[in-house]
Amino acid sequence: MSEINILEFEGISKAFFGMDALKDVSFSLPTGHIVGLVGENGAGKSTLMNILGGVIQPDKGRMLLKGQEYTPRGPGQASAAGIAFIHQELNLFMNLSICDNIFIDRFPKVGKLPFIDKRQARRKTAELLEMVEMDVSPNLLVERLSPGQRQLVEIAKALSIGAEIIIFDEPTTSLTAGETEKLFSIIARLKAAGKSIFYISHNLGNVLELADEIVVIRDGEVMDVDSKQQYTIGRMISKMVGRTIDQMYPPRESSHSDEVALKVDHLSQPGVVKDINFEVRKGEVLGLFGLMGSGRTELARMIFGLDDYGSGQVLVAGRVMEKRSPQKSIASGMAFVTEDRREEGLFMDDTILSNLSIVSIDDYRRRGPVSSLDRQKMSRCAGEVADSLHIKCGRIDKDAVQNLSGGNQQKVVIGKWILTEPSVFIIDEPTRGIDVGAKHEVYSLINELAGKGTGILFVSSELEELMGGCDRIIVMSNGEIQDVFDKAQFDGQTILHAAFKGHKRHSAAREVNSE
Amino acid sequence: MFVRYFLLSENFVLYLSILYFVVLSLFYPHMASTRNLTNVSSNMWPLFALVVGQMFVLIVGGIDLSQTSIMAFVSVIGAMLMTSQLDPVLFENNLLWGTLLAETGGPLGGSVLATPVGMLVMLGVGSLVGLINGVSVAKLKMPPFMVTLVSMMFFSGLAVFATRSENIMHLPASFVAIGRVQAGFISHSFFIALALAVGAYYTLRHTILGQWFYAVGKNMRTSVVSGVPAQKVVILAYVFSGFCAGAASILYSARLEAGRPTLGQDVLLDVIGAAVIGGISLYGGKGKVHWALFGVLFFALLANSLNMMNLSFFTVQIVKGSIILLAAMVDVARNRLVVREAV
Amino acid sequence: MRWICIFGVTIVLAVLCVAGCRDRGGSDDGSLTVCFALQDLETEFWVASHEAITQTLRKKGIRVVERNGNEDANRQLEQIRDAIAQGVDGIVLIPQDGESAVTIVGEANRAGIPIAVFNRPPANRSHPALVVFADNESISEKAMTYMAAEAKKLGGKVKPLIIVGDLGDRNAVARRQGFYNVIEANPDLFEKPIEVPSKWDSTTALANLEAAMQSNSDVGLIFTSSDFLYPQVKAVLESFGKWKPRGEDGHIILGGIDGDTTACRWMRDGYVDATGVQDLYYESEILLEALIAAMEAGEATPEKWMEDPGFALTQANLAERASDMWGCRLQDESADAGQ
Repeated sequence: MSEINILEFEGISKAFFGMDALKDVSFSLPTGHIVGLVGENGAGKSTLMNILGGVIQPDKGRMLLKGQEYTPRGPGQASAAGIAFIHQELNLFMNLSICDNIFIDRFPKVGKLPFIDKRQARRKTAELLEMVEMDVSPNLLVERLSPGQRQLVEIAKALSIGAEIIIFDEPTTSLTAGETEKLFSIIARLKAAGKSIFYISHNLGNVLELADEIVVIRDGEVMDVDSKQQYTIGRMISKMVGRTIDQMYPPRESSHSDEVALKVDHLSQPGVVKDINFEVRKGEVLGLFGLMGSGRTELARMIFGLDDYGSGQVLVAGRVMEKRSPQKSIASGMAFVTEDRREEGLFMDDTILSNLSIVSIDDYRRRGPVSSLDRQKMSRCAGEVADSLHIKCGRIDKDAVQNLSGGNQQKVVIGKWILTEPSVFIIDEPTRGIDVGAKHEVYSLINELAGKGTGILFVSSELEELMGGCDRIIVMSNGEIQDVFDKAQFDGQTILHAAFKGHKRHSAAREVNSE
Repeated sequence: MFVRYFLLSENFVLYLSILYFVVLSLFYPHMASTRNLTNVSSNMWPLFALVVGQMFVLIVGGIDLSQTSIMAFVSVIGAMLMTSQLDPVLFENNLLWGTLLAETGGPLGGSVLATPVGMLVMLGVGSLVGLINGVSVAKLKMPPFMVTLVSMMFFSGLAVFATRSENIMHLPASFVAIGRVQAGFISHSFFIALALAVGAYYTLRHTILGQWFYAVGKNMRTSVVSGVPAQKVVILAYVFSGFCAGAASILYSARLEAGRPTLGQDVLLDVIGAAVIGGISLYGGKGKVHWALFGVLFFALLANSLNMMNLSFFTVQIVKGSIILLAAMVDVARNRLVVREAV
Repeated sequence: MRWICIFGVTIVLAVLCVAGCRDRGGSDDGSLTVCFALQDLETEFWVASHEAITQTLRKKGIRVVERNGNEDANRQLEQIRDAIAQGVDGIVLIPQDGESAVTIVGEANRAGIPIAVFNRPPANRSHPALVVFADNESISEKAMTYMAAEAKKLGGKVKPLIIVGDLGDRNAVARRQGFYNVIEANPDLFEKPIEVPSKWDSTTALANLEAAMQSNSDVGLIFTSSDFLYPQVKAVLESFGKWKPRGEDGHIILGGIDGDTTACRWMRDGYVDATGVQDLYYESEILLEALIAAMEAGEATPEKWMEDPGFALTQANLAERASDMWGCRLQDESADAGQ
């Protein structure tokens, strides 16, 4: 009977420093099935997968692999047992070829001689690449591949070791719509070939589409296991967070004035954006929706003065911005939350205090001939913001930002801009990679800011959150504004339709449908 | 518990220096003599001036290989201005002979203003070379290693060319006095180094510019998005490094009583070694003035103690290398401890 | 972690062991200690001088504290200061150059320790010191005089070439001057000389000499400002097919100054015509005698400049004077030892 389930978890428990990370987790992975694994950050998904991969050992319980007890003592044993991980952050050598990456730890040899049989390695690589529908040379360097192609190389590598269980951990984060679709078709093929798959993602739509069964984990416990036919996204969310979908978005009553906070006038940059015109009024939340590659992030960066544009104007409170730079934008009252929190938003190994105060640092200058820094005032202001944002931490002048959860990190990014009391807030993908609870807090924050009269440009690729939190939505595609929708006209299908205008690959709809 | 405190303390290198000094003093009583301590302290200040400058560049994530060449270049420029007598046999082939240079020395030769003006020019020229480095790195986006390597070769060559490889003597007495060892630790060079240190400390700790230095070194992209004038900050770091090289050039030239085109050719590794031992990161974003001081102290003590030991030059190099390696390993161990504490 | 600890402890123990085994600086037993500070040990001349000085001192029962400045004037200054703090009774200095010698002598004067400067005299006499120096100008003049006489035998005009040293070094300047004294005394014999800079660096000398020979293939006389450059001269001449002993057609009149083993060997083989010799045994002897006398008399700042007149070893006097040249003596000693 055990052949039906290739893998079974039986009563797995694990505690760190007396805190339960997993409590009596039991479920199984049927052979040839795809099991979706969802839960908030910190719910215990990674701990469970680390146990499966042999990185850590459970305190209690056991795993059965094909009916045999399975007790891996390290990642090497896990991969020997046929378990492969496709990670969010890929583990490839950028400077090596695809072939070298796949065979890095076990090159085929010429007989028993210590020479690499390159020809055989290349032939095998070519076969594997065909299986993942990649039409490139095995000798191509990995750094020249797109993120999606790199993921396919990882899958090819998993196949090359004869993996029977493949775990995908947030595989679509850095993929374009086309690449995502391709990945899904390959996952389907893997399933057809009899492989068993765990699919872990925050993107509940994707999970619902792909998985045969779905397991919801919250606070280290399995909350819900069922086949996908029984699930809706609403049910998943309510199981994950313990509240229903209606409570996902805080109620928003738009009450903006007619005063224009930000005006973008005929902005163009050849090859990137074309003749962009719009206005954000004080107290308004304007959504900017577009698919990957639509130019939405590029536009946001140009408005803030990070990137150059060829022609057109940006006006803040009616004044034309000239000789653009982030400094000048900030001085005029702009704030910008970037989509790349780790690389552009934060100093990861620095304290919360330093991160919060970096933009507004000029405000803490002591008056006098020698302009010294008023650290007391700095701590006080930053402390007030940290409190008001409910940033969960010990001491803001001691704790490093990298030790915070994604949601709290994002609050630090928003907090540093709140300290400058901006009149225009550009927010790019503020909820990327943070859990459902933190998302709710970010939406509330945006509402609160708008309530104080700040004009907000909310850039996102998740249509649902824009519909839940914006007063108007403009839709970009191929670097142009395709349409504008008022709140009364919000309708998923229509907006998506606009987003696909000019998109040749209609298949990209899959990504959006599933959001 | 004590060991842990010792290892984790920010003043670790200071404690290590003291421990080293105490242990060695048992073997070599001369180590603790006033005269020797005066030597150690006077050997420290020029190196310290260089390390403080280098620290700013390291904090913004760069490296300044040209410091020692700036020093040599500034040394001959200053000496040419200040000297009061030149030997025609040695200098008549010089390009400037007859225009700026003559048997009666340089333009300021014999003047009361020679020392103050000469020193200001030395600091100014040092800063100017730093400015060239900084602009090349920040505005032209060239890698710091390449930029400063090229200016290292260029200015070292220029210094030799400008003097035809001659050392320039007969500097004003008031200038030479800067390099004299005074009994006790209070000498002119001490005050010059102290002024640099106080300036650097105040800038890093108490000004907005200081926060910007660290920010740029920790994450350039975040700094730019956060409105830090990153290019200006990087340029300033190199200018300050050049300024410190000018100051170090004053100290070295004064103690050698001559402008030397080959001044400090071997010092660069001492500078970077002392900075790293002090705990200043080569990856940017980390560094404090007192760390630099402790690193230099340790280095000066090490060189001094090795001089005491009657070792051959080659043995000295081997021991020095081993100790730097040891310091690096201790640093790794400390970081692990810190990480473990944090968990 | 454990490895790091083990490694660290090993290094610390090793350093302490070296420190403990070494004799202490300073003199506890009443005997005299001398600091011998040299600038480097790169050429045979300095190695032989180093040998002569340390042996003479040890023979007289004096403890020697050695310091190698490795061609860095500042490091040499720091080493001398440290040695003074250590309480040495006297200093023997081979300075990096004449200018830094002045500074270091001044440092010793202030500390009241007698200092003896070997072979490279201070740039001026503002601070008292015991100095021994070879009269480089007259030595090179003597060698060149013999070479000029040889050139005269050829008949016709000869094109001379000189490899000059680092002109920051007074000795290099004097050697060049001695060469020119002879050239100017024979205006009918010599064409305008070609100068090849060497900076006292063998690779620089090699490259520059090669270039000079390329454009002036008719050079008939070569004078090198130091014997340690003979191997480079040989390499270049061989590539032009001109490395010929005396008597053979195409021999280039060859001479230099210092008197090292290479010069001795090639004089005996007939390739080199003359070499100026500074008598380093004589120099170290008289310098150390003066220093020891000053230390014993308690003189703090003795002053005496002593000159080594030197001589030229030529093919004419090779047989009777070879034993006075240090290079030949070293060569004969090693030949004896080999038997």
